[in-house]
Amino acid sequence: MRGTLLYIGQRLVLIAVTTVLVSSIVFLLLHQIPGNAFLNETRQTPQALAAELHRYGLDLPLQNQYVNWVQGVLHGNLGESLVNRQVKITPLLVRETSVSATVGFFALLVTVGLGLILGVLAALRQNTWVDYLASSTAVVGYSIPSFVIAIFGLLVFGHYLYLWTQGTFYYVPGWGKLEQIPVPALALGLPYASYVARLTRASMLETIRTDYVRTAWAKGLKARVVVVRHALRNALIPVVTILGPLITGIITGSVVIENIFGIPGLGKEFVTSILARDYNIVIGVFTFYAALVGLANLTVDVIYPILDPRIRY
Amino acid sequence: MNAVDGVSFEVDRGEIVGIVGESGSGKTMTALSLLRLIPEPGKITSGRILYGEKDVAQMTDEEIREFRGNEIAMIFQDPMTSLNPVLRIGFQVEEAMIAHQRFTNKQAKERVVPMLQRVRIPAAKDRVRDYPHQFSGGMRQRAMIAMGVSNEPSLLIADEPTTALDVTVQASIIELIRDLSRELRAAVILITHNMALVASLCNRVIVMYAGRVVEEGPTRAIFKNPQHPYTWSLLRSMPRVDEKEKERLISIKGLPPDLGKMPPGCKFHPRCKFRVDRCFTEEPPLAEVDPGQQARCWVLMKNIPDPEAQAKT
Repeated sequence: MRGTLLYIGQRLVLIAVTTVLVSSIVFLLLHQIPGNAFLNETRQTPQALAAELHRYGLDLPLQNQYVNWVQGVLHGNLGESLVNRQVKITPLLVRETSVSATVGFFALLVTVGLGLILGVLAALRQNTWVDYLASSTAVVGYSIPSFVIAIFGLLVFGHYLYLWTQGTFYYVPGWGKLEQIPVPALALGLPYASYVARLTRASMLETIRTDYVRTAWAKGLKARVVVVRHALRNALIPVVTILGPLITGIITGSVVIENIFGIPGLGKEFVTSILARDYNIVIGVFTFYAALVGLANLTVDVIYPILDPRIRY
Repeated sequence: MNAVDGVSFEVDRGEIVGIVGESGSGKTMTALSLLRLIPEPGKITSGRILYGEKDVAQMTDEEIREFRGNEIAMIFQDPMTSLNPVLRIGFQVEEAMIAHQRFTNKQAKERVVPMLQRVRIPAAKDRVRDYPHQFSGGMRQRAMIAMGVSNEPSLLIADEPTTALDVTVQASIIELIRDLSRELRAAVILITHNMALVASLCNRVIVMYAGRVVEEGPTRAIFKNPQHPYTWSLLRSMPRVDEKEKERLISIKGLPPDLGKMPPGCKFHPRCKFRVDRCFTEEPPLAEVDPGQQARCWVLMKNIPDPEAQAKT
């Protein structure tokens, strides 16, 4: 137990270092881009521009700006938006992350839930129509990019089934209703669900032929117990391994999905801030993404030893 | 294709029967079919497996489940892979007891440690919470045996229980199986290719070749007067401490036949030194050669004047 806590501590430090490193690179690269956020503003006098630059400390030498910025990051302060005056970036991104996390959580639920069910069914009914149906669905699902599924979802639920959905998940302005979640979550989770299904099927086929599953049958255990407790439990180990990259995939996938569905999350901010040249927010978004990916991988690594006692930190 | 064909034998209460034969001769398949555990896509196409009055081959899935581990328990060859790596040893034993309503959950929990002590696992109290990877090979096999005898079955099938173990551990495992079977008054089917083990432990021997019983009888008779050329060669292929003259060992040339390319006539004739014309075309029946001893051969070793000389040609 102490070993585990120590391990988690080490990992957290590493994640912090990685995050600062990633955002430093983004910071330095963005400052190499010519122009700035204020060039679009109309009727701008050189004096007014200089005043704006001064207000945000953008007239300082780069190294000074960098030091200021790193100090801010270490205090959890990512600065102010360049476009929307007085808007603090950290609380803004925290709010947007919670929106993204909600959608991401349900997408993950789709991915793991649907993936496991399809994979297990296909493995248990290997070489029957159930297997063929589940396997080909998985191949199709994996081959279609999520934005195609998203547009398809819009067409079906927003147009063909308008009378049923009333367009709630898209047309009503604002965010925060439960019915807004399923369609984007499905679009986001489906390609990865196919991936999980294929992996689960292969992994399950392997475990149901192992000696210890034969032992479980020989003990006279009920079929359900053999499949769930003995076969599935072991089959899950490789599935959990890919959960880390999977979560990363869902996070990056959200950039596309959130823009299609107009979800006010981190993914939408990612695009909006770049288009608005709101560099402070761009850096902030990257910082959040880096930390999120790190934390997601850490979570997976913490689940791992719970599932497989042979792994200890 | 028939991996096992026309095998017929009986085991009485308290008896220890050895099944011997080369790898691929159908020993394991015979044993697995007793519990209907033949791996897919194999199946029992015909025949009966009588346990008392009940025919295992005709049981429903629920009946066979209730039967496995309860009436007939099986110990497998490789204890390294036959225990579930993610479940505690104690739990795996407990689970076997709970499966058959012989014991309540509470009773089963209380019986785990005594069970492990009974199979002579040292410090059983501390080790119930261990996982299989914390056990040595011999200890795992003991745990497998504990699992097998936990429901006091009347037949114990041990499929090469010592093949995967250190020589030093083998003897103690065999001793354990013998002692437990006496205490429980259970019959044992011991599958092995170790003739010395058979000689020291078994009341009766069944010799299998190419999925058939080629000879069967009391251990003494088989070892003293083997009638089938295969049994005879098998015994002559092993060094003996009590041999008076220093005879050269006899080897059986060639390999057992491929399932897909079974020779016509006697399945052993391509490798047999004593074959006659009839062996090429007609398969001999399993016929009584002495009271209680049966052999599947047209020639029989007792009709050959000097087998040693003939075998060396």
